[in-house]
Amino acid sequence: MAVWVFISLIFLFLSWVIFIYNRLVTLRNEVKNAWYQIDVQLKRRHDLIPNLVAVVKGYMEFERSTLEAVTSARTRALSAVSMHEKAFAEDTLTLALGRLFIVMENYPSLKSNENVMQLQEELTSTENRIAFARQLYNDLVANFRTKLEVFPDNIVASIFAFQSVEFFSSEDTDKGLPVADISARTK
Amino acid sequence: MPLTFIDIEKKKSWRISVLFIILLVMYFCVSVALFLGLAFIFPVQFLGSGFLLFREPLYLLVLIVISLIIAIIHFSFSAFGAAGSIMRSLGASPPDPEDGVHRRLMNITDEIHVVTGNKRQMKCMVIPSLSMNAMAAADLKGDAVIAITEGLLSRLTRPQLEAVMAHEAYHILSGDCLDTTVATSLFGMYASMLENLNDEDYMGFYLLFFLFSVLLTMSSILSMFISREREYRADAASLRMTRNPLALAEALHLLSRNWTGVGVIGGGLEMLCITNPKATELEKSGSWWADLFSTHPPIGKRIKILLKMARINISEFEEKAYSKTETPYISETPEILYYALDTRHQWQGPYNFAELVSLSWLSPRTWISKGSANTVERASEDSSISEIFKNRLSQSDGEVSAFSCPLCKQPLFEVSYEKTKVYQCNFCGGMLVENDKIPRIIARTEKRFTDRVKSVAKAVLMDNQRNLMKKKLRGAKKRFQSVILCSKCRNPMFRTFYSLAYLIEIDRCNVCNVTWFDMDELEMLQCVIEDRIIPGLNL
Repeated sequence: MAVWVFISLIFLFLSWVIFIYNRLVTLRNEVKNAWYQIDVQLKRRHDLIPNLVAVVKGYMEFERSTLEAVTSARTRALSAVSMHEKAFAEDTLTLALGRLFIVMENYPSLKSNENVMQLQEELTSTENRIAFARQLYNDLVANFRTKLEVFPDNIVASIFAFQSVEFFSSEDTDKGLPVADISARTK
Repeated sequence: MPLTFIDIEKKKSWRISVLFIILLVMYFCVSVALFLGLAFIFPVQFLGSGFLLFREPLYLLVLIVISLIIAIIHFSFSAFGAAGSIMRSLGASPPDPEDGVHRRLMNITDEIHVVTGNKRQMKCMVIPSLSMNAMAAADLKGDAVIAITEGLLSRLTRPQLEAVMAHEAYHILSGDCLDTTVATSLFGMYASMLENLNDEDYMGFYLLFFLFSVLLTMSSILSMFISREREYRADAASLRMTRNPLALAEALHLLSRNWTGVGVIGGGLEMLCITNPKATELEKSGSWWADLFSTHPPIGKRIKILLKMARINISEFEEKAYSKTETPYISETPEILYYALDTRHQWQGPYNFAELVSLSWLSPRTWISKGSANTVERASEDSSISEIFKNRLSQSDGEVSAFSCPLCKQPLFEVSYEKTKVYQCNFCGGMLVENDKIPRIIARTEKRFTDRVKSVAKAVLMDNQRNLMKKKLRGAKKRFQSVILCSKCRNPMFRTFYSLAYLIEIDRCNVCNVTWFDMDELEMLQCVIEDRIIPGLNL
């Protein structure tokens, strides 16, 4: 009798471990998938920028520095390796692009060009997608990290050596921005 | 509150089963009534007397089975593929990738897929109507559609459109859209059909009429079931995505001050919309009584909540909104007469502006003189005339299309007009437009009209109104004059008015659904609708 109780207890314990393990793996894969989403969108942006620069160049003789800032930010973003580097480079690129869009407002001939408008729309859309993909990724990472740290899960996580994942953010630029405050205020 | 968009769990919808039971009860009542009626008509035959029904459980069982079968058939017909049939009833079509504004809509739909982690495939559709509304529909087959009217699409800025789309996406993701869609297709569709049938020809269908009004009441009772809280929740979710409460508040404000589609979007469909097309005074008042009976919370309340999040004062917000929507007025400029030096160095004139620019020999280097002043200048130096020349030049950079101008017989060029593709003749300036693109063009207000177009539109409208009145008074027979041949199918086109409300003459081909606008006719039509020019009668 005692043997049976012992066996069933072990069985229960094992299924509990399996349950937690599976949940952690699912979360990790979701995070990974979200990261690929960001990557796809970043690539899309990098592909679109040369087109825009090529079209705009002819119109904006006097704004050399703005265009160069965009091009160099793009090259730096392409060569970035670590998560923080990447995030930082992409943020600079976002800023440079934003400046370019503002400058473009001053050129009515640019705004009447169908081609430019279309490119600008595509880029704006990509910017949004990057922001959204990033939002999703960071939310998922937060989820995953919480699971790694709360009590019963952290034991299982340490047994199977689950690694924590970094947020997609460059610490310097994110400090000044009010993020994530909104979900608290919606109540 | 879930943390992310993808955490929004699809609730198990118990409401759908409630709907089914209501349907079942309804059919049961109908079949009992029919049975009693039959028993009354044929008292001696196999049915026995009507009271037998309640003594004999077999009959009751048979009736239950019959009504169950009918209810299942009805349910499966309307609940599966409901999204598609609702869209069809509204004439919605998928966005046109070649059109700038529609392209933006498609991009935003993709963005929403990104932020929701591709959990659910959502299609976007465009309803060809000038009203302003947006709706979401999902059905048991798994289709999910977000539809937006052409009018709203053209008036919203990008951030506002993002906010509206995110709002609708939440309805789909949270699953409450499914309830409303099923409820709508079970009951609401008939209700809106009833509205259309409200004609004298159908007075014979009294029984049908009665049945439908029962259904109508049913659907309005159901709308009480479906809580109004989901609208607040969807607003909150939209914020979580776009992090821009102001954009949504602006969009809602725009909706509250415009025609939201009474007449186009049937009464039964109101549950699916972002705001109730038939918002009554009662609803706007926001009392608890209204709260109980309306499908949507009062829009003012929703805006207030959003503004609190944006930390903006409501008076500040309204000031900004009102200053933006100021309508441009038509300036009355006295007509200037021009004289022009022709090719044989003779002064010709006086011409008004329209006559001058249509002179075949007018070139940028022609000397002209304005009537009042004694100065002489090149035509290109006059800003308004050089604008015309510029237009002529810019028109020539387009793709040559397969169609030819019905007047000049020259090939038409594909050009982009108000961000959509139309075919234009470089010689006479006329335009060929597919019929489904006309609402789009009218809805967009990017193009500014010159005073010349405005004054011509006014004059033409007045003239047409007068002629129409004369015709009506004399009782002249309608006759169609076919003047020109369609550029697509070579059949004669009909010269008609765009509508009786907007008396601008156009040529329509009813075979291939295209419309030919002579030079300025399209601009005049837009101008008349945008500036609400109404012909005054001075006979």
